[in-house]
Amino acid sequence: MSITEHKLTLPLTEDAVRELNVGDIVYLTGDIFASAGMPTYDRLLGCLDGVEPLPFDFTGEALFHLGSLNEESEDGSLKIVYMNPTTSTRFNSHMPRLIPGLGLRATGGKGGLSNESVKAMAQAGCVYLSFLGGGAEIITAGIRKVKAIGWSEMISHYRIVHIEVELLGPLTVGIDAHGNSIYDQTTANALEKRDSILYEMQVARELDIN
Amino acid sequence: MAITDDLIQEATKELYSRALRKVPDDTKMALANAMRSETNETARQILKLQLRSAELAERNDRFVCSDSGVPVYFVKIGSKAELSCDFKLAIRAGYEELIETIEPPILKHVTNPLTLERGYFGKDMPIVTYDFESGVDYVEMICSPKALGSGRWAAMELFTFPTLEEIETYILDVAIKAGAQHCPPVLMGVGIGGTFDFCAGLAKKQTLRPIGEQNPDPMLAAMEERLAKAINSLGFGPMGTGGDTTVLGVHVDFASGHGFTPVAVCFNCWINRRSRVRIWGDGRMEWGE
Repeated sequence: MSITEHKLTLPLTEDAVRELNVGDIVYLTGDIFASAGMPTYDRLLGCLDGVEPLPFDFTGEALFHLGSLNEESEDGSLKIVYMNPTTSTRFNSHMPRLIPGLGLRATGGKGGLSNESVKAMAQAGCVYLSFLGGGAEIITAGIRKVKAIGWSEMISHYRIVHIEVELLGPLTVGIDAHGNSIYDQTTANALEKRDSILYEMQVARELDIN
Repeated sequence: MAITDDLIQEATKELYSRALRKVPDDTKMALANAMRSETNETARQILKLQLRSAELAERNDRFVCSDSGVPVYFVKIGSKAELSCDFKLAIRAGYEELIETIEPPILKHVTNPLTLERGYFGKDMPIVTYDFESGVDYVEMICSPKALGSGRWAAMELFTFPTLEEIETYILDVAIKAGAQHCPPVLMGVGIGGTFDFCAGLAKKQTLRPIGEQNPDPMLAAMEERLAKAINSLGFGPMGTGGDTTVLGVHVDFASGHGFTPVAVCFNCWINRRSRVRIWGDGRMEWGE
């Protein structure tokens, strides 16, 4: 089976997003936003409620669950020392509102999102991209420039970084904009197999013991 | 000559740094073997990427993952080791020195569970387990940094006089619940029996055992094989995008106990962070994984 590969330029159009299918490989070039902080995503929801203004305009943009060690030098230049994904399911309760509320075309991290987000993504025309957990060197190598650091009063991995990337990847489409989720598929598949696996284990156990 | 504070402090600092930068050789070997046997093309690509990530971090002397977790150590004191050290203070000092000097710096992940405030330090940090070893003249220290990614999927259940079937069904169900959240392929540690606290320790210590090392107990060896095969046939695959490789190994230990039987299960993500050192009084330090 061959895998479809896409080299995409950001910002993504809705058409480009709708062309992606689960299992496709993607490399991104252009601007992205990233943060790994639970308090950050809480705060973004607060922005939608009018508590404070959004630090950036996310309309049509990509916001990923990536944590980074970022620094601002004395001369004002910005730098990311390393960056890597965090567990996206931590934001299961945030993303169904943030995806349409911020107008995201892409999100991602590792481990996928729940069904509510899958629905929100299908409706809004948004994809979920899976990054390699423990892929800090590969992911950091895709960074070209740090353009801004939002909410810099927070600890490093909670801040929202605005980055220019070049051929960031490979990333796997984990959830597409057609309501398909690799995570739902693999979980359903595992649950379906559970009884037959248990039966095979029982047979093996009897052979092992006798 | 006795083992001093300086040696323990140096070991504490260096072990953590090593665990963050290098995927152990047994783990790389297991990933490479999995790449050869995988039937799923996406899974093969991810295993290849994982090996590349490990290689780049090692070559560039950088961290494999941005989340350095919290510092967790296991100390085994040889009965013939001559000691002139205060382990608790020396380990604390080694960790403090690490935070000040490590390059690149690590992120603040030590979390107060009541206030959710994060920093480098906190109550009971580093987490250290002490034990003894009869007949040896060294101190062995293992570092196993732990983060939320794989840490939060650990589970324990207490049974009364369970059958092997009940025990193995529970372990399979823990694996199903964790799905692919823990950055597979993972190493799974299982503890059976003892008491609540001891059982959790058994499971954790099994994640420190090198992959591929045969379990000396034939009954446990057979159970490990059954469980690994069963969990891999669930199909979650590397990073959860499908495939035949969800675990690199299942390591099981047991302890005798009363009729109530705890079963504990925990996971190490694919980078399987683990570093080890043996320290002698003459200042010798033998580094391992």
